[in-house]
Amino acid sequence: MGQVDFKNLSKSFGSTNIIDGLNLEIHNSEFLVLLGPSGCGKSTTLRLLAGLESVSSGTISIDGCDVTELEPRDRDIAMVFQNYALYPTMTVEQNIGFGLKAKKMSPKLIKEKVNEVADLLGLTHLLNRKPNALSGGQQQRVAIGRAIVRKPKVFLFDEPLSNLDANLRLEMRAEIMKLHRELGATTIFVTHDQEEAMAMADRIVIMDKGLIEQVGTPTEIYFQPKTRMVAGFIGNPSMNFMKGEISKNSELKLPIGNIKVNTVLNLGEHIDVGIRPEKIKLADSKRKPNENIVTVKVTNIELLGPRAIVKMEHESGQVLTSVVDHDEIGKYELGTNISISLASNALHIFPKIKD
Amino acid sequence: MIVSFENRLSRFLGTTAIFIAIILVLFPFLWIFLESIKPPSLGGRPDIWRFEPSWENWREIVFNSNVPLNILNSFFIALITVVISLICGAPAAYAFSRFRGFQGARYSILAAEMMPPAILILPLFLLLYKLELIDSRVGVITAHLTFVVPVVTWFLIGFFDEVPKDLEDQAMIDGYTRFQAFYKVILPAVRPGLAAAGIFGFVLSWNDLFYSLLLTGAESRTLPVAIAGFWTFRGIELGKMAVAILIAVIPVLILSYSIQKHLIRGIGGSGVKY
Repeated sequence: MGQVDFKNLSKSFGSTNIIDGLNLEIHNSEFLVLLGPSGCGKSTTLRLLAGLESVSSGTISIDGCDVTELEPRDRDIAMVFQNYALYPTMTVEQNIGFGLKAKKMSPKLIKEKVNEVADLLGLTHLLNRKPNALSGGQQQRVAIGRAIVRKPKVFLFDEPLSNLDANLRLEMRAEIMKLHRELGATTIFVTHDQEEAMAMADRIVIMDKGLIEQVGTPTEIYFQPKTRMVAGFIGNPSMNFMKGEISKNSELKLPIGNIKVNTVLNLGEHIDVGIRPEKIKLADSKRKPNENIVTVKVTNIELLGPRAIVKMEHESGQVLTSVVDHDEIGKYELGTNISISLASNALHIFPKIKD
Repeated sequence: MIVSFENRLSRFLGTTAIFIAIILVLFPFLWIFLESIKPPSLGGRPDIWRFEPSWENWREIVFNSNVPLNILNSFFIALITVVISLICGAPAAYAFSRFRGFQGARYSILAAEMMPPAILILPLFLLLYKLELIDSRVGVITAHLTFVVPVVTWFLIGFFDEVPKDLEDQAMIDGYTRFQAFYKVILPAVRPGLAAAGIFGFVLSWNDLFYSLLLTGAESRTLPVAIAGFWTFRGIELGKMAVAILIAVIPVLILSYSIQKHLIRGIGGSGVKY
């Protein structure tokens, strides 16, 4: 079990609202990722759930039980911090067993459980070491071991991979997912790394300025972004945006020309139109329906191994970025004009955000 | 490697300056030591450098004086003062380090340090007199706490500042109360700081003359008061005084040396980090 409900959750420090009326239901056994830029309130949300910060208004419940006013120790959760927060004066064995000691378990049982977890995480040979004699990856494993040994209802991870180097990060990512599958406990994972979020999450919650922008599966978030912020935040290289407005006959008036689409927006409304870099293709001889051909000049090509990032500029000054497979790259030449095709159904239309 | 003349000159001058400083610091110790092993008949004659060493003064002090009792008093008073100071100062320093409602609050504890002891001594004297604690160790301990507690607290703030807050958060999630998190996780993490602050406080109490002179009598007299007591109406008993001074100074030197690494950190490390 481990269903978490946030109802109208708000948190403010002085006059600054960090979280503003957050409503979210996290299902049992779900791997939920809170994603957003720094300062969006994702870590605060996690700390509120852990009981490390007090709630300004609203409620938090775990399995239907209101825990808003409960102390962290009474919430049956475990947390892994960004800097691991291993107790520096204790050995690995004592670190992992510390939470069980609080439950007044017999030393024999504690040892048994610690050994079990150490075995699972490959820490058995390190049990007598102090944290400062461990590598970053090993410290991370100990922190995870300390969390899982207590078999809590909910696991909280606060950017646990950001202190690791790239290879180790991939390895630990896989390991955390494997553990989640084996243990089946509800997991809430905070990160600012979209790739990590896309790879790990059952559902992603995108937050910005204390508000939820969108909740959805990685596929939904990527292919059907609901807001301009989500569209711009997810994807690397990020989505191309063009400023425009709705002209007559549901046409989009854009710097690169007029494009006909189906939209419910009103005549004269200002909009941002987005298109993912990989949706910008070279135009071929056969014209397809809903296809818009635009002539642009190639201004830069970045080779990234299997693919390349091509920057191009329209005569209006509109810059577009495209992602091209390696075997296609020969068709792009720096400084030349090319025709590209933008499919109408690949366009994302967002009402203009007023500044 | 060719070393330029300027370089050699500056190195020579630097070394000479350090050498002079060392002599200035160490010479009094040498002189006091020589004084302590001079035969009593030659006491107070700084001009005499060649003599038959005699342990007469040492024998007198160790077997025929109150100095051993004074040492015991000083030791007991300093020890209890430090224990109480750590018990009060550690939680106080932790609070100053963690709860930063008012950033300047931590500086208020230094106010006690800034006050001249003369302001405190009169009320303290009257209070102890009413409580019949004049010439008692408890009285001196009370007086010493007025300056050792703030120093120990100030000293420890910097050490607590360096312990990540995540550690106590983790302990509280692991099933402990904040107080348990404090003494099971945070206190062990600042052990070097506790030792250094304790030794620093011990030395302050051990060296105090002002309060001890005014609050002690025959029973509770401390070593610094006893040392001052060798200046009598009949003159200064320099040989015995030298022995007592050496006994007083040696523990201070050893203790200070043992904490020198943490000393600067403790005194200087308490600034608010923004």
